[in-house]
Amino acid sequence: MRVEMKDIGKKYEGRENFTLRHIDLTIEEQAFCVILGPSGCGKSTLLRMIAGLNSITEGELIFNGKLMNKVPPKDRDIAMVFQSYALYPHMSVYDNMAFSLSLRKEPKEVIRDRVMEAAEILQITEYLYNKPSDISGGQRQRVALGRAMVRKPRVFLMDEPLSNLDAKLREHMRVELVRLHKNLGTTTIYVTHDQTEAMTMADLIVLMNDGKIMQQGSPEEFYHRPENLFVAGFIGSPTMNIYPGMIKDGKFISKGGALEVEPAPKDAQALQDFEGKDVHMGIRSERLLSGKDEKNTFAAEVDVIEMLGKEKLLNCKMTDGSDIVISVPGHFEYEVDEVHNFHFDLEALHFFDSQTSERIS
Amino acid sequence: MKKKKEGLYLSDRPPLSPLGKVLLALSYVVLAVWSIVILWPLSQMVISSFNGTQTKNITMGRRFEFSFKHFEFLFKETNFLLWVKNTLFIAVATALLTLIIVSFTGYAYSRYRFAGRRASLLSIMLIQTIPTFAGITAFYTMLSIISGFAPFFSRQLFLILIYAGGGIASNTFILKGYIDSVSTELDDAARIDGCSNMQVYRLIIMPIARPMLSIIALWSFIGPFMDYMLAAILLTNNESLTLAPGLFTLINDTRTMNQPAFAAGGLLTAIPIIILFIALQNQLVSGLAQGSVKG
Amino acid sequence: MKTTPLLLDDIGNVRERKNLYLKELFEAEAAGAQEEVRRIKAARSDHPYIVSLKEAQARETQFLLELKKKTDEFERTLASDDPLKKLKVDTFEAREKAAFYQPLRELSYDFELEDRINHFRLHQLPRIVADQESLRERIAVVEAELSRERSQDHGAYEQETVRFRTERKMRLSEEIDELKEKRKERLISDKAYTNEKKMAQLKTRDDILARENSHPVKLLEEELRNLRHRLKADKRLALKVLESDISDVRRKTPVETEQRFPWRSIVSIPFPGIGQFLNKQWQKGILFLLASLLIYLVAIPYALGYGNYQGSGISGLISLAEGGARLDRSIIFMVEGIIAIFLLVFAAALLLISFKDVYTTEKRKTQGIRPFTWFESRQTIEEKGFPYLVSLPALIVIVFIVLVPIMTTILISFTNMDPQHQSKFQWIGLANYKLIALGQGIAGSAFWLILGWTLIWTIGATTVAIAIGFFLSLLVNQERLKGKKFFRTVFLLPWAVPAFITIMFFSIMVSSTGPITQILKTLTGQIINIKNSSLLTRIFLIFLQGWLGSAYIFLLSTGVLQGIPSDLYEAAEIDGATSWQKTMRITVPLILFQTAPLLVGQYTFNFNNFSIIFLFNQGRRFNPTHYGNLAESTDIPISYIYKVTIQNQYQGIGAAITIVISIVLMFVAWLGYRNTKAFKEEKL
Repeated sequence: MRVEMKDIGKKYEGRENFTLRHIDLTIEEQAFCVILGPSGCGKSTLLRMIAGLNSITEGELIFNGKLMNKVPPKDRDIAMVFQSYALYPHMSVYDNMAFSLSLRKEPKEVIRDRVMEAAEILQITEYLYNKPSDISGGQRQRVALGRAMVRKPRVFLMDEPLSNLDAKLREHMRVELVRLHKNLGTTTIYVTHDQTEAMTMADLIVLMNDGKIMQQGSPEEFYHRPENLFVAGFIGSPTMNIYPGMIKDGKFISKGGALEVEPAPKDAQALQDFEGKDVHMGIRSERLLSGKDEKNTFAAEVDVIEMLGKEKLLNCKMTDGSDIVISVPGHFEYEVDEVHNFHFDLEALHFFDSQTSERIS
Repeated sequence: MKKKKEGLYLSDRPPLSPLGKVLLALSYVVLAVWSIVILWPLSQMVISSFNGTQTKNITMGRRFEFSFKHFEFLFKETNFLLWVKNTLFIAVATALLTLIIVSFTGYAYSRYRFAGRRASLLSIMLIQTIPTFAGITAFYTMLSIISGFAPFFSRQLFLILIYAGGGIASNTFILKGYIDSVSTELDDAARIDGCSNMQVYRLIIMPIARPMLSIIALWSFIGPFMDYMLAAILLTNNESLTLAPGLFTLINDTRTMNQPAFAAGGLLTAIPIIILFIALQNQLVSGLAQGSVKG
Repeated sequence: MKTTPLLLDDIGNVRERKNLYLKELFEAEAAGAQEEVRRIKAARSDHPYIVSLKEAQARETQFLLELKKKTDEFERTLASDDPLKKLKVDTFEAREKAAFYQPLRELSYDFELEDRINHFRLHQLPRIVADQESLRERIAVVEAELSRERSQDHGAYEQETVRFRTERKMRLSEEIDELKEKRKERLISDKAYTNEKKMAQLKTRDDILARENSHPVKLLEEELRNLRHRLKADKRLALKVLESDISDVRRKTPVETEQRFPWRSIVSIPFPGIGQFLNKQWQKGILFLLASLLIYLVAIPYALGYGNYQGSGISGLISLAEGGARLDRSIIFMVEGIIAIFLLVFAAALLLISFKDVYTTEKRKTQGIRPFTWFESRQTIEEKGFPYLVSLPALIVIVFIVLVPIMTTILISFTNMDPQHQSKFQWIGLANYKLIALGQGIAGSAFWLILGWTLIWTIGATTVAIAIGFFLSLLVNQERLKGKKFFRTVFLLPWAVPAFITIMFFSIMVSSTGPITQILKTLTGQIINIKNSSLLTRIFLIFLQGWLGSAYIFLLSTGVLQGIPSDLYEAAEIDGATSWQKTMRITVPLILFQTAPLLVGQYTFNFNNFSIIFLFNQGRRFNPTHYGNLAESTDIPISYIYKVTIQNQYQGIGAAITIVISIVLMFVAWLGYRNTKAFKEEKL
């Protein structure tokens, strides 16, 4: 189902300011949309508004062209998976999964078929007659998914469903969720604060901060074309190297003076308007090249080395004392306290207007 | 399982020092003495109730002769069975009424934010520190007014209202605390699954709160068994008494005095309650403790 | 009320006015052009906008009249038992209306609203009708199938089911046998056995049920049940969605009114319901009209003395049946007066709610926000009213069982109700309190003596109980001690045996021939009658309460003890603490900290512990030289009040004592609550 939000806003009773406002978002049929953001950015509120658990103060929520603002949650044809799973502790796994259907007075045979079908997909047939308290966290997670699937909803809403699992299981469930989504083809809206989840699972990422959408787009766009400083700093691990500075004679000069970069021609054109103005420059750690080049070279002293296996992260100090993180292939040999020369891959520079923090070019 | 653990744990300890041995022995002595202090009076009650040679006043040192005579007296000459019936009726009705009222208020106070919520609960908690008995003159008067309007409304029914009403605030508080600990995501999940407000209450919250509800019900049930004062004041007719004031007539009133029969009645009353308490001691204590901690 | 050239809708969007007359007028007002304002007002009926509006309104009236006839005609073409008749008629009406209002949209927001609403209806109603019809058709098909299946013979299937059931059950018992075997060989624990067994049983039951449910007749029956449920639920939902869409349009389409003075709310102050009618909120009006009935048929007549049992409403509170008939009793007049006050407070609250409701609606209307429809009001009531509705029984019980009695007691304390003035008594102001403060009079003289003993009693008895209970729990919970279970059960007994029984039995045991007296006699050689000595009775009472109360403390601290994590002790041991230090530094503070509120509760409990004082020795020993005729030497306030009020009928002074004691208790309780988390937390 296609989910549209038009200029949606939410103000809680008794609060001065809008928790979120001017949210415009379209989620296409069968999309896997991840709403990403730091805690308190309003992403859960937005999800709960889509679910109908929170009222919508302004704007329109539209499912397949139908206005949904006032429709109660049970009639929106959605299913939700909660962070705590929210399994009913007094019912068996089977009853948990059958609950919504039995409230709708579906024939028992239909209920049974659907529960069994979901249980088989999720491999929980063995535990159907256990109470939720008797099964492990990962199994509970599956039951919660199963309870959502049984309804055959048109939209899946997931509120940080993996955050209570341990790292290994989370990785596994991530793959499984994507597979499930591929098989069911249900529009899914997934809320998380974990960028890895967003990058690995989403067709569409929506990054929120402070009740506003910072950027929406595919994972690639997010990584390669962050729209503003917030996105640039939020996405990617290690965090992008970002330096304040200014444009002087078409060159970027960092505040401490350690970096002097002559941008690639297409960036240079865009930066013409910013001559003499403050801008930020960013570059990802893997786009720094070792060795000397004719221009744009800088020296840095290796401070700490993090060995990740396939790559090494060099935490370096530049001549003006500012930090830079450089990733190099894992088999390269570097020692702490050595000084090396590096230069930039000019294709991979990001410039941001310091005033508006928007992307330039 | 448990034993094994203790055994393992013991082997971790250093051997007892002589002082430790003395102290341990001393502990046994103290505990034994206190056990006697507890058991002796209770055993006296049991013995005298079965001792056929006891007359109206229980006297020490009489010859023991096993007999059911005092029990016979209790059942035949007094209204003991009626008192049991009255107490059971009042206790069950009190427990039910409390459950009905409190399960709603506990849910509402836990899940809804509404004007006057905090103020109402706190002021009632404060007002209820005034002993219920303070309103006794008004209870009398209200009884005569009510009997004018609705003659079927007996003193026993009024007593039930007083018992139930007196516990509303504290029980609401206890239940609210318990429901607060149930994640609201469960409510949300139930709403999405298709529950209305009432269905969330009935199908989700109440079953989950059942342990606390049973504790509240149990305490409200036991209350009328334990209370002497209100029952003695409000129930005037010997046939409508509850157990406490009923049994009191067997030692207080010289016309009806019969101490061994009192012992017999006390025994019969105490045994089911003792069993109940021993079986449910953990729940009963935890219920009390939770109520107070949250309060 | 303030008016502006621009309009606001309910979402806060600013809208242009369509009413050009008002626009001109308010713009002139905003500019402060008095002359202009007067001119515009005078020429109102000639204003081109007003003229065209009037004309359109006239056409509308005409149209509605004709529409009524047309719909009636249309209705006659439908079968009279058509269950979807209403929906079809509504559709017809919506189509006509949409056509009529479409061209008028730009003239006024009212027409625009009608147009949009009817377009919604026109869009959605036919779909609802179609859905309902297809559902009905499906039901008819299933019903036919069902009756065919029913008439057929399913003997073979049923036999098969029976066979399946016995087979499945046999398999179950085999499974259980297997489990039993496993348990015997200690491959699985008892708990696992019960669990597995339960699950196997559940699974069997489910398999059998599934088999039974796939019986052809059963299948159809279930489907039919579901279809019938959907028939109702779908329609309800669809209409609800339509209503919410309409209400959404209403929220976004402003309203224009020339009215500025909130006359409706002011006119309707005394009569809830009228104002809502004036705002055209019919259903809500009826609801509030019920409130009016309550006020004018119950509260006010009762307060004036009509329908009273004996009293005369509020005035009875003042006269207290002074000069009334011989049978009139002051106390009844007082209680009925108090009830009347509560009714009046309730009535006033209703009036206020109604006024606020009408006023808000009116005020919002001048800003451009449309009044709520019944659908919207009902939603608000359902959402916001739920907690009030479910708390109502509690409120009623509390008003009559707690508030009215306490009010009565407060008022009685200002009267001279005593044995001479039982049926008729008078207001005497603060005289009773004066007697207490000065320690004079029939009951006042003993007051301070009693308070002194009560303090000793409360602190002594509670502390003894706490000390014993603590000490015992520490002893019993030593790791090396054996027989924990036995000691725990024995130590629980004083709590489990109903207190009144033990108290009464102890009372028997210390009577002149009782066992304890006999033992004391053999020990000391003389007859010591505890009940005949104030001092001995007091000491005995304190220890008796120690005996009774220690069990509860024992249980509590045992619970806490078992909950103390062992790593605390291990850490202390590594730090080099001796076992004595561990007890004093870890155990005792932890228990005290966790049980503190309950321990405080024990003190207040003993302050009011009527049972033990009264049932043991009725508060005796009698000591008239110090205590007067009413009080005795082991009385605590509550038993003293009992004697004064119930046994001797000095209700006036008894009430005054009650109030004084209650104020002290409430103050202490408030000090306690003030510091609890619950009180401070916003969350409460």
